[in-house]
Amino acid sequence: MAKREAITKRDNILTIENLRYSYKNASGEQEILKDINAEFHAGKMYAIIGESGSGKTTLLSLLSALDKLQEGDIKYNKKSLRKIGGTEFRLRYVNIVFQSYNLIKYMTARENVQIAIDFDERKASPDKYLRMVGLTEEEGGRLIGKLSGGQQQRVAIARALASNSPIIVADEPTGNLDEETEEKIIELFKSLAHEQDKIVIIVTHSKRVANHADKLMKLRRGELK
Amino acid sequence: MMANLVLAAITIKTAVKTQMDYAKSTLGGSVTIQADIESIRENQKDEMEKGGDPKEMFSKMTRPSVSVETANSIAGYSDYVKDYSYEVSASANSYELEVVESSRGGMGGGMPGGMGFPGMTQDEDEDTLDADITISGINAYAYINGVESGSFEIKDGTYFDEDSENSALISYEFAELNSLSVGDSFKIKNIYTEECAKLTVIGIYDTSEGRADANTIYMNTETAAQFLSEDDYNDGNYDVDNVTLYMLDSEKADEFVEKINSDFSELAENNLKIAVDTSEYDSMASSIESVGSFATTILVIVIVAAIIIVTLIVTINVKDRNYEMGVLLSLGATKANIVLQIATELVIVGTLGFALACASGTVLAQKLGDSILQAQIASSTQQSEKNFGRPGAQIGGGKMPSMPGNGSMPNMPDSTEKKSMKPQTQNTDVELDINAKPVDFLLLFVTGYLVIILALILPAVNILRYQPRQILAGKE
Repeated sequence: MAKREAITKRDNILTIENLRYSYKNASGEQEILKDINAEFHAGKMYAIIGESGSGKTTLLSLLSALDKLQEGDIKYNKKSLRKIGGTEFRLRYVNIVFQSYNLIKYMTARENVQIAIDFDERKASPDKYLRMVGLTEEEGGRLIGKLSGGQQQRVAIARALASNSPIIVADEPTGNLDEETEEKIIELFKSLAHEQDKIVIIVTHSKRVANHADKLMKLRRGELK
Repeated sequence: MMANLVLAAITIKTAVKTQMDYAKSTLGGSVTIQADIESIRENQKDEMEKGGDPKEMFSKMTRPSVSVETANSIAGYSDYVKDYSYEVSASANSYELEVVESSRGGMGGGMPGGMGFPGMTQDEDEDTLDADITISGINAYAYINGVESGSFEIKDGTYFDEDSENSALISYEFAELNSLSVGDSFKIKNIYTEECAKLTVIGIYDTSEGRADANTIYMNTETAAQFLSEDDYNDGNYDVDNVTLYMLDSEKADEFVEKINSDFSELAENNLKIAVDTSEYDSMASSIESVGSFATTILVIVIVAAIIIVTLIVTINVKDRNYEMGVLLSLGATKANIVLQIATELVIVGTLGFALACASGTVLAQKLGDSILQAQIASSTQQSEKNFGRPGAQIGGGKMPSMPGNGSMPNMPDSTEKKSMKPQTQNTDVELDINAKPVDFLLLFVTGYLVIILALILPAVNILRYQPRQILAGKE
């Protein structure tokens, strides 16, 4: 099995090349992403902002290999996503943090994190990652439903950390959180980028999050600027 | 419950197979010597073609019969024959005794019908002679019609055997009318020679369901032969009827028939044929086979139902866990991983269920098998009685206890014991020993896992169509 990429290298780079994406609907073909080119470097946090319908979620789905590429390519260290394969890309290269956390409700926080460790076939304690996001051992033993929104988001981030992926893609990660919690989560993402040399890409509406990003990108009518 | 039913059906099927094999080796069939109707017809046809007078031909026609010596010789093939029975039928005159008024059929009512050759009487002259007693000689008491079914019972005294010289079983009504009791002697007259024979009452019988004429006296064949005409007696080599030979092994019946046909060519010359009668085995086998086929039906229905139910349960379960699957896919799980996870869960739950079924399925199988078998036997018995008037009856008047035994009743220790002894017929109860064996458990597990695999196909196809983005986007 292929070993995980060396994530500590600052020269790790995620490239989007000539990315196009369109949907077919009753009114014909609607182009969502138009010839997008971009580079994301390790150790930096990126914020992508844009209006509703601008193609943010589609771009995020493509970056996290949840959707198939149509035209153009996404490369990690010059290796094409098409070559790596969607499942392998999701398993070894990218982890996604959703607005609604996407945790398995009947499991505890610890068990949710353990899933990511199991997929990576490593021996590690989930508590280590829960501590990294500020959750106690007692909180780690609680069922997801017994945790607050902020705590659930931290579990989702701990899961992303546990998966050991070099890229973390987050979709409105603070959308359901209060300001204080939002601040803590932003700091967490920043530390992931700056201290663990991960590529952190956050799709957001929040100006606060956008202000904290190392680089802000605007997606407007399918074009990234 | 499904696993219980599957195990029950598998266990019943195994038990049926075992019982059938056992029955084949132990129950045996029987072989009868009977008139060869086809041969007689062929002879008649030949005679007609030669210009013979049908009326004359009919008057000359005699009933095909087999001599006691030949019957004994055939019965002496101990490698094949377990037991045998035959009869001598005659008539006698009551002499100084009174006879019971014909309330249950009268003279001839209890007469065996010979060798299934309707239209011919035993002796045309008998009707014109002064005969009011029916003599029924039989080599073994157990083979008297009704003994095996229990409708013919000894009320007092005991039964005769082949050594019981001049001993007779008389009816309760005949005994009462003539004030006879066990140990008394009486005389009856040979209607041909006018000679009196002195018989001793060894037992008094009673019958139900009108199976015998009250004026019928039962005795062994040697005693009964005294009442034949001199010609028929033939210096002790008299003819016997209803010769039935009970096989040690039914599978060897055909071989035995072949051997007898080769060794006793006179049978064919006398328009007789020896034929296999496996009705006992067939009767039992049909009941058990019905249970087997019922078990097969249950097995098929339960397996089909199990596949449908498990498919539905898994489909619903997968749908409920759709979101979880989406999360796992987003984390890098392959669709094969997801299917494997569902399969593993099913196998764990299934294995627990099968293990529980192993404990309870045998009990269910025994109860189910017994009730089906009893229902089948009851149905068969009703059908048999409807068709022939009594269980185990043979068309043509022949007598056939449903399970032959040691008809000769040897080694009776004393008369007290004799009174209480039942005829030594085999147990007619058909039983299935339904005990789950390791192979049944193995079959349950194999069948169960096959059901799981088949039930997984549809949900697996659904899972393969999953798109994680759509699942998670739906949630978002």
